[in-house]
Amino acid sequence: MHKWWVIFKKEIFRVVTDRRLVLTVFVLPGLAIFLVYFMIGTVIGGQITSEETHEPTLYTEHMPAAIEERLEERVDYTLYEGDLERSELESMIEEETIDAGLIFEEDFLSHVESGAVPSVEVLYNPAATHSSNAFNHVNGALSAYHESIIIDRLDAPEDYHVYDLSTRELFDERAVTAQGFAMIMPMLIIIFLFVGVMNIGPDAIAGEKERGTMATLLVTPTRRRNIALGKVFSLVLLSFMSALSSFIGLLLSLPRLMQFDDSLPELSIYRFVDFLAIFVVIVSTVFFIVALVSVLSAFAKSVKEATTWIMPFYFIALIIGILNSFGASATQSFLPHLAPIYGPINILAGILTFEYSVLNLAAVLLSTLLYTGVFIAALNMMFNSEKVMFSK
Amino acid sequence: MHDLEVRDIRKTFTLSRKQRKIEKTDSKRKVAVRGLSFFVNRGEIYGLLGPNGAGKTTALRSVATLINPDRGDISIDGKSVLSHSLAARRKIAFLTTELKLDDFFTPNYLFDYFSTLHDVDETMREARKKTLFSKFGIDRFAEVKVGDLSSGMKQKTSLAISLVHDPDFVIFDEPTNGLDVLTARTVTDYLWELRNEGKAIILSTHILSVVEKLCDRVGIILDGTIKREGTLSEVRGDADLEDVFFSLLEESVHDA
Repeated sequence: MHKWWVIFKKEIFRVVTDRRLVLTVFVLPGLAIFLVYFMIGTVIGGQITSEETHEPTLYTEHMPAAIEERLEERVDYTLYEGDLERSELESMIEEETIDAGLIFEEDFLSHVESGAVPSVEVLYNPAATHSSNAFNHVNGALSAYHESIIIDRLDAPEDYHVYDLSTRELFDERAVTAQGFAMIMPMLIIIFLFVGVMNIGPDAIAGEKERGTMATLLVTPTRRRNIALGKVFSLVLLSFMSALSSFIGLLLSLPRLMQFDDSLPELSIYRFVDFLAIFVVIVSTVFFIVALVSVLSAFAKSVKEATTWIMPFYFIALIIGILNSFGASATQSFLPHLAPIYGPINILAGILTFEYSVLNLAAVLLSTLLYTGVFIAALNMMFNSEKVMFSK
Repeated sequence: MHDLEVRDIRKTFTLSRKQRKIEKTDSKRKVAVRGLSFFVNRGEIYGLLGPNGAGKTTALRSVATLINPDRGDISIDGKSVLSHSLAARRKIAFLTTELKLDDFFTPNYLFDYFSTLHDVDETMREARKKTLFSKFGIDRFAEVKVGDLSSGMKQKTSLAISLVHDPDFVIFDEPTNGLDVLTARTVTDYLWELRNEGKAIILSTHILSVVEKLCDRVGIILDGTIKREGTLSEVRGDADLEDVFFSLLEESVHDA
């Protein structure tokens, strides 16, 4: 039996038979992601529903019936009963008891008909969502009334008709969905992978050094290369499963988060080959992150120190992910695809928006595996170095 | 040619700032062993006697292939352990209190795990397990996680696991350190038993009574070098071992 396989099995056994680790590595990431995103979605959904169903309360003085009709066509509203002093009205709008106030000059309609210019004052609170919405409705009703008066005043009302306007919304629903995925998925995938590796990587190597169990392993007739491979492969599998847990949590919370009417987002826009490409990029990236974290953990004297070393790399990955989310479409240039972390994030965005080339995909896979190979070789050297393994 | 020979080894360590502070020195390097030589044959217990910091652990770690000396050589059955470290590890058992077992696993699991890493086949593994577990009473707690065991039970488990591959050379660094009287007795009795089975044993200790009781030959190590070596009677002559040890220690401090 290959020695790396013996070490691999032991590392897997260590995690999957420990209830605490099963909980923290496989259950909690997914559960936490689901709960957080579900709650965010619920709060956002609640706000949207509140805005859609809210019936504004308006205070009016001398409002003509013609304007009242136009307002009723736009929104169901409640009229505030009773008379208010000016200062009282202002306070109530600021306190959001009343959403808007419409003060028309007395005999507003007669003034308009006589050609005079009566005044109308609209009071609202731009800091309050409901008040702003009420203002939009009021403004619309006033504009419509204004337009009707202008038409009446023209000698030839048909002169007001200058052009026919028709608008058509032209968009590819598939492209819109794809853009949505490309904005959030590459960033989340990288974060989930990093967090998955950080959950167990430092303990598997720096933890063993700290506890003195690594030395016990090093006195066996096992090549250091096999120890490195056993550790790396087991971490890859465990981290992948941890990231998968987060991903499942995300998928389950997406309908609520994106307000998709409680149905899963439309993944059928992607072909099998796209999923395959995503999968191989993720696997190669897991290898890269695991190898990086392993080297940093081997260098550290304790789990705490390892985490401190890893954190800046996590933040770099996080920043690249966030920049990708806010950026335009994925770059098609060849060279950026060779950059660690950036390359995988960029190609994931490219795959999700159907804008990637096989050459760039190959560049990402080969460069990521090359960096991984370099890190594993470094890890092997570190396991062979007494300075690294026994430093205090 | 001796079965295990250490020839003129020297090992220097670079001290970290923290270590320099602890050792109260400005020197960035520390010579742990200088020109150290000794040997041991099968059926013999060799005791390396010295105070803390004398170089005992460095010498034994070098023999166990955990660290490489800067110069000199160590051979087992005529083959250098520096160039044949894997082959050497197959013949060596190394036990020190610094080498720990993973708290999460049971003695039974760890015995199987390390036997696979030592290329022990299943038949031999089961036979060794039966013998060693029964000898140290590990059967009683074979399925209890190491983290839940007492320090004596842990030490017995470590001892059994280090011997999983029935090695010819047994290297114990302070084997009875931190053990209760009963467990210490079990360990020393077993060392004697191993010697009678024809194993070569090197043990380091600062406990004079352990040396007097167990060792066929002894080397007194001070400041990284062997100051006196031979059979117990050769080393102590007409004097008491304790008196010899302290007089050598005094000379060493005076020379420094």
